[in-house]
Amino acid sequence: MSNTESSDSLITTDVETGSDEHAVAPDRTAVAARDLNVYYGDEQAIDDVSMEIPENRVTALIGPSGCGKSTFLRCINRMNDMIDICRVEGDVEFGGKNVYDADVDPVALRRKIGMVFQKPNPFPKSIRDNVAYGLKIQGFDGDVDARVKESLKGAALWDEVKDQLDSSGLELSGGQQQRLCIARAIAPDPEVILMDEPTSALDPVAASKIEDLIDDLAEEYTVIIVTHNMQQAARISDRTAVFLTGGRLVEYDDTTKIFEDPEEQRVEDYITGKFG
Amino acid sequence: MATDTDTGTASAEGFGEVSRVRGIIFEYLSLGASVLGIFALAVLLVYVTIDAFDLTNASPEWLLTYFLTLVVPFLAFCLYSANDRELTRRAAGVLGGGLVAVAVVFTAIEAFVTQIPRLSWQLAYLFVVVFPLTGYVTYVGSSGRVGGVGFGLVGRLIGGTAIGLALAVLFLVFDARLWFLAYTLGIVPALASYAYGRFRERPGASTAAVPVGIVGVLVAVFLRPVIDTYPTTAFIYLWTLAIPIAAAGALVVGARGSRTEAIAAGGVPLALATVVGLFGGILGLGVGGPNALLVIAVAGVPTAVYLQRVFDAGDGVIGLGLPVLLVVGALVGALVVEAFGFPAPDPWIDGSFITEAPSRTPADAGLYPAIVGSVIIIAMVAVLSFLLGVGTSVFLEEYTANSGIVGALTRLLQINIANLAAIPSVVYGLLGLGLFANLLGLGYGTAVTVSLTLSLLILPITIISAQEAIRSVPDDLRRGSDAMGATRWQTTKNVVLPEAFPGILTGTILALGRAIGETAPLIMVGAATTVFSAPNSLFDKYSAMPMQIYAWAGFPQADFRYGVVAAGVITLLIILVGMNGTAILLRNRAERGT
Repeated sequence: MSNTESSDSLITTDVETGSDEHAVAPDRTAVAARDLNVYYGDEQAIDDVSMEIPENRVTALIGPSGCGKSTFLRCINRMNDMIDICRVEGDVEFGGKNVYDADVDPVALRRKIGMVFQKPNPFPKSIRDNVAYGLKIQGFDGDVDARVKESLKGAALWDEVKDQLDSSGLELSGGQQQRLCIARAIAPDPEVILMDEPTSALDPVAASKIEDLIDDLAEEYTVIIVTHNMQQAARISDRTAVFLTGGRLVEYDDTTKIFEDPEEQRVEDYITGKFG
Repeated sequence: MATDTDTGTASAEGFGEVSRVRGIIFEYLSLGASVLGIFALAVLLVYVTIDAFDLTNASPEWLLTYFLTLVVPFLAFCLYSANDRELTRRAAGVLGGGLVAVAVVFTAIEAFVTQIPRLSWQLAYLFVVVFPLTGYVTYVGSSGRVGGVGFGLVGRLIGGTAIGLALAVLFLVFDARLWFLAYTLGIVPALASYAYGRFRERPGASTAAVPVGIVGVLVAVFLRPVIDTYPTTAFIYLWTLAIPIAAAGALVVGARGSRTEAIAAGGVPLALATVVGLFGGILGLGVGGPNALLVIAVAGVPTAVYLQRVFDAGDGVIGLGLPVLLVVGALVGALVVEAFGFPAPDPWIDGSFITEAPSRTPADAGLYPAIVGSVIIIAMVAVLSFLLGVGTSVFLEEYTANSGIVGALTRLLQINIANLAAIPSVVYGLLGLGLFANLLGLGYGTAVTVSLTLSLLILPITIISAQEAIRSVPDDLRRGSDAMGATRWQTTKNVVLPEAFPGILTGTILALGRAIGETAPLIMVGAATTVFSAPNSLFDKYSAMPMQIYAWAGFPQADFRYGVVAAGVITLLIILVGMNGTAILLRNRAERGT
């Protein structure tokens, strides 16, 4: 019991600092899901989810394992297309267009939506080539080096690697690798950045650096982050969506509201650790 | 006291022992089996070496001379490089002690049991003491800085010479004049266009490079029969190979050193190649002609680049003396042998063996046409099977679906490929005979027919190993690239293939090793056992080294069956090891790059 209390108080203080930084204003919608159902074979992974994700805010998706939050994330940039047995029904709107329309090229879509994975996955290339990768494949013909520098600064990595841009990205530490992946994701200047548990493979110090970074990223990008770490969701996000078993979106509201006064008893149980 | 005893017995009874007998038996049986295999092979190689180099006729004085002038300085070099006092003491101990021990044991046997032939004495010294010790010391020495530099230099000299000779051999059948036109009209404009686009920030020019090149090559093919005056072969080599190689070397040096060094690294070998190649004959140097030009350029430029790097690092410079040490040692040895008139062996494998045509008398027999045939065939097989194998494996791994009808078809294809790997090579020979020689009319025993047949033969192995390599690329990397908005092709080209390249190369090396020694399919498609002159077109009658060796083994004269066959086997092995070594170096470089 005492455990729960302490984590509760921790959350409360952090949420207050978090909400100070992003004053609430009427938001435009970046991504919207309407009646979204996703099936893996016969199994339903997402059950009738509708939600609107605001622009230039951090939106956290939380919930127990297997609740469909990562699946939801991968629907936005159609990474689920890679899975043969996956079937999607309903709409996901991005920039006012359903990304599952027949005339949408998923490759072109992904060039507008960056993604950061759970495990840092830099390419076995130099740091420079890693960051410039998106520019290269998109045929960017401007000043690549300037863009690389800008992106590394944006990912708070520039000062640590500016003298070793030609050494391999794999020589960096885990936390640096993840920031390299973030730099890689923002280099082509996408509109939305999806993050699938970006800190769960990192130590606390590296994780807190990434958290600070996410806060800064929200000034320019819409960030949608899946996390298992409740405190993290409370600290960094403006809006929080709680998924529970069976792929249902149980509650979606301002983060402060979710963590201080959730509507649903189940959400409160989950957040305080009684369930999940 | 009582408690102590109690716990003592309790733990002894409580844990007991677990039997490991089966594991230990398995371990030693496996060890025995592998050691037996290696030992049998080593014994065979020793015999073959003795025959090929005619060591039976080597006099003790001859052996001792070369031991002192060549082996001892080399050992000293390696030990100096290893810079390990303890190792030096042990090596000296083993060398001295080993020689004395052999002498003592053999003397004892002679005194009490039976006479031992002189040959056995020499072989015991050579193969029991000197060779193993030299091998070990070489290994240790090469890890030191000085030794690394020395072996690096010798490797570049020998490797460059081999590649230069291989290129010269390929130009026996591939038209140098066509290459001249294609290079001048296609490759140079394409490179120029690319460089212009790259440095003047004009992406259009870079994109145009490939079409420009293709058009140029097509024009060259069209113009080849029309034009009838061409520069000499030496000039063609100079313009199309020596100058670009020198320029590449200069660029490499220029990227890390001064302008003067860059010009020297490219210019000195180029000048040397030009002088020797174009005027060698006139100046009476004894060497000359287009092939000399080619070899000097191909071996000289990498050597010059390497020299610059070593001098720049300033570490282990003394190691550069290794080639001088070896050459001087060999010369002094030869002088001493000559001066004192020591009886020398007359090795079967010598200069004339690899540069002359087969003959009816063992002493004049040569392997030249078969070496040329093998080199050309292997080059074509390497290109064909690498392209086809990588293409197929990329298609199977990256492009086909895993489920549904396509998935089922892919699995069927997969099973068939795996089964093809198990089909005897004679059957492939039959296929080659029916398909390429008869149906397509490519001719019996021509380079084209043989190469296509051998490519088919090793294709399943290449495909399967390349698939394995591609599959071992982590999926994380693919997903990372896909999520950046890369197309399937971009992911394959930029992420999957670079990462899988070392593995793909390993598989191809193994498969090529099999192809170069293959005889049965060659017999089936009608390759000649013996041809008397080097082929000068892809549709000539070809022979290959294993075919020629096989033919010699059936000759009535004993000298053929022992000496000449052994020399052929050693040549085949040296070429095979050289080829594999080059490929392995390439692979290691690719691995370090990632």
